[in-house]
Amino acid sequence: MDVAIWKGDGAGGQYEHFAVPAEDNQTILDVVSWVQQNADPTLSYRFACRVGMCGSCAMMVNGTPRWTCRTHVKKVLKDGQLKVAPLNNLPVVKDLVVDMDPFFDKWIKAGGLHAPSKTRDDDIAAIAPDTDGRQNANAGIECINCSVCYAACDTVRSNPDYLGPAALQRAWTIVNDEKHAARGAVLDLVAQSDGCFNCHSMGSCTAHCPNDLDPMQAIARLKRAAIKHQLAGGGRDA
Amino acid sequence: MTARIQIERHDTDILILGSGGAGLFAALHAQQSAPAGTKITLAVKGLIGKCGCTRMVQGGYNVALGPGDSVERHFMDTIEGGKWLPNQDMAWRLCEQAVVRVRELENEIGCFFDREANGALHHKAFAGQTADRTVHKGDLTGIEIINRLMEQVLSRPIERLQEHRAIGLIPTRDGAALSGVLFIDMRRGVFRFVRAKTVMMGTGGGPTMYKYHTPSGDKTMDGLAMALRLGLPLRDMEMVQFHPTGLLAGDHTRMTGTVLEEGLRGAGGHLLNAAGDRFMFDYDGRGERATRDVVSRGIYAEMRKNNNPDQVGMFISMKHLGPETVRQKFKGMVKRCADSGFDLAAGLVEVVPTAHYFMGGVVVDPDTRTAIEGLYVAGEDAGGAHGSNRLGGNGVANSTVYGGVAGDTMGQDIARMGSLRDPDETVLDAEIARACTPLSRKAGHVQTLRHKLQEAMWEDVGVMRTATGMQRGLNRIADIRAELMDTGVDGSTLAFNLTWHDWLNMASLTDISEVITKAGLARENSRGAHYREDYPDAGDLAASYFTVAQAAGDAVQVARENVAFTIVKPGETILPEGEPDTLVANA
Repeated sequence: MDVAIWKGDGAGGQYEHFAVPAEDNQTILDVVSWVQQNADPTLSYRFACRVGMCGSCAMMVNGTPRWTCRTHVKKVLKDGQLKVAPLNNLPVVKDLVVDMDPFFDKWIKAGGLHAPSKTRDDDIAAIAPDTDGRQNANAGIECINCSVCYAACDTVRSNPDYLGPAALQRAWTIVNDEKHAARGAVLDLVAQSDGCFNCHSMGSCTAHCPNDLDPMQAIARLKRAAIKHQLAGGGRDA
Repeated sequence: MTARIQIERHDTDILILGSGGAGLFAALHAQQSAPAGTKITLAVKGLIGKCGCTRMVQGGYNVALGPGDSVERHFMDTIEGGKWLPNQDMAWRLCEQAVVRVRELENEIGCFFDREANGALHHKAFAGQTADRTVHKGDLTGIEIINRLMEQVLSRPIERLQEHRAIGLIPTRDGAALSGVLFIDMRRGVFRFVRAKTVMMGTGGGPTMYKYHTPSGDKTMDGLAMALRLGLPLRDMEMVQFHPTGLLAGDHTRMTGTVLEEGLRGAGGHLLNAAGDRFMFDYDGRGERATRDVVSRGIYAEMRKNNNPDQVGMFISMKHLGPETVRQKFKGMVKRCADSGFDLAAGLVEVVPTAHYFMGGVVVDPDTRTAIEGLYVAGEDAGGAHGSNRLGGNGVANSTVYGGVAGDTMGQDIARMGSLRDPDETVLDAEIARACTPLSRKAGHVQTLRHKLQEAMWEDVGVMRTATGMQRGLNRIADIRAELMDTGVDGSTLAFNLTWHDWLNMASLTDISEVITKAGLARENSRGAHYREDYPDAGDLAASYFTVAQAAGDAVQVARENVAFTIVKPGETILPEGEPDTLVANA
């Protein structure tokens, strides 16, 4: 098959074409690996776990952001052709490798970390698994922070400051986590100018999430919770 | 060539290598315990929270918090599982501190593990254990642990050196202490030497020198290869754990070797040979539900019997449990198989034993200190806690417990340490020259050599071993090393040059393959993961020894040391009198 791979760096680049042998069980990551191992030893890309758990290997495949280790060639091949490029909306390091730091900086900026209400000396809290709050929190917990939603998001594209779907989905998980000690503060954070109210519910995040999560719905609910929180005076911990 | 090589120098106080459970916990605990103003740096071969294997943990975390369970019982299971080879003080610390670490994960780090309907932690059964002990988040426990730890680390003032590959542990001129670590900043392709008062190595073992292997692609035994070159003693190096059911999808795909989870067999999955017949009962009365080592040997033996070249592995079949049930119960696994073109719920999926975990590692004390001042080792890079076999669920417990211990220990030790130590510039130059070896040679095909090494280790130092096979293996490894030293890499750009890193990966893997093989020859009995067809018996438990390998000049020497039964002797138990042998129903 004919594979076009983008090569370059932050200053620019171009597509180069490679003829790659087709195999029965072949992922996009396998195709890219074949090129590096056999055709162009200087081609750069990133991967780690090979099985869709680490979220390191996302790329644009025929124009769509995908996890490449779990994307079968047959699923995406168009007229015997593949076009592979670095992920949208993040700075390019080299070839197919992007700098993911802005994505993680926003994850933290959106309050994406636990604030303890107990210590290691305390017993583990009994928490019923079937409450609404816990179900809401569970809905986004399997995010592998692969940046596919972030690359798919038109709002991130037009407003580089926007926190983006993954970070806001994490915030929604936290707002529903009864163990978190400062949930009100997270609702204040996501209500700022770079936060959840930028989302126009275009739904690209949900459409592209490789784990079938629903960041769009999480953000919609986060908006409602943030408004409710502001009306109640904001600031205080929920 | 050397004229092009840039070397940058950088200083910190506490340097941590690796971003799995060990590295992230070390960073957090160092920050909590070190004097104010201590600079902490986290260096990783990939991205923080993404590379490494803790993230890939499916099963869960062993901790004695379940009804009726105790640290004593967890400890006895660990010792029995390790066939009396574990360092007992390390195994005890592991089981005792796992309780604290799981509370820390839940209460301070923000993990949420699965609950019973009444809100209590859910503990699931795992093979080889006498209590339901394994806490988990579905079958994606590692993602929950690492995502939460990663957030904590990223939000703190901890310096990040991402895509910095460690290539040498550099001692002081008198060799009495560690000066720092030499890296390649992979993104820019430059060398960077970082001095530190204390260094924790948690790069993760990862036996990826086998044809079929489960670990993350970044793992290539770099840590152990560096420790070997520094002259540190390595223990239990023959102990490679194979997982019985790795996916077999062809040499051309990185999916091959990845794990099909243990739970498939536990739930009643069948293993079938080429004729479509179940075979595990020929090898063990528990059939498919036997322990990992037994099932791996059963599959391997059956593979040797098979003369059909079109079928390499055996098959796992789940459809008799009802395809719909399988799709529900093993949603993630079914989807993963489907993504690579296989129908796990209703079809057959070809499987092979796959190298999964490395029990061997650097000799450390229970505080993670090593034989050299300034170096600490935790996680899969450290040997001793598991002996000859690691229980499912004890891996993530080990990395997180001992990563935290290392952070605490470094935080205390650094208070009594003076200034940064200067490196032995000769060693530094030699390490740089070593890494540059392929850049001055004609470009060859590194991947061919990787395949050769993987074939050699699988065939001659794999699931079942003999002296003849391992001697042949040593010769093959020596030939491969010679070929590697002659194989060059296109160095027209060194920035993110993966082929250069493939070469360096091969150098680490080749060195440690030799150590595994020599340790395998030195153990003339069969324990846990190490099975000798020419010495099939376990030997006298009371006279148990472990192997210690060390570099002596260019050669590797392996000695035996007796296991010190500091807590319990073979045939005895520390469980109170009258305690049942097992708490597991229908065990």
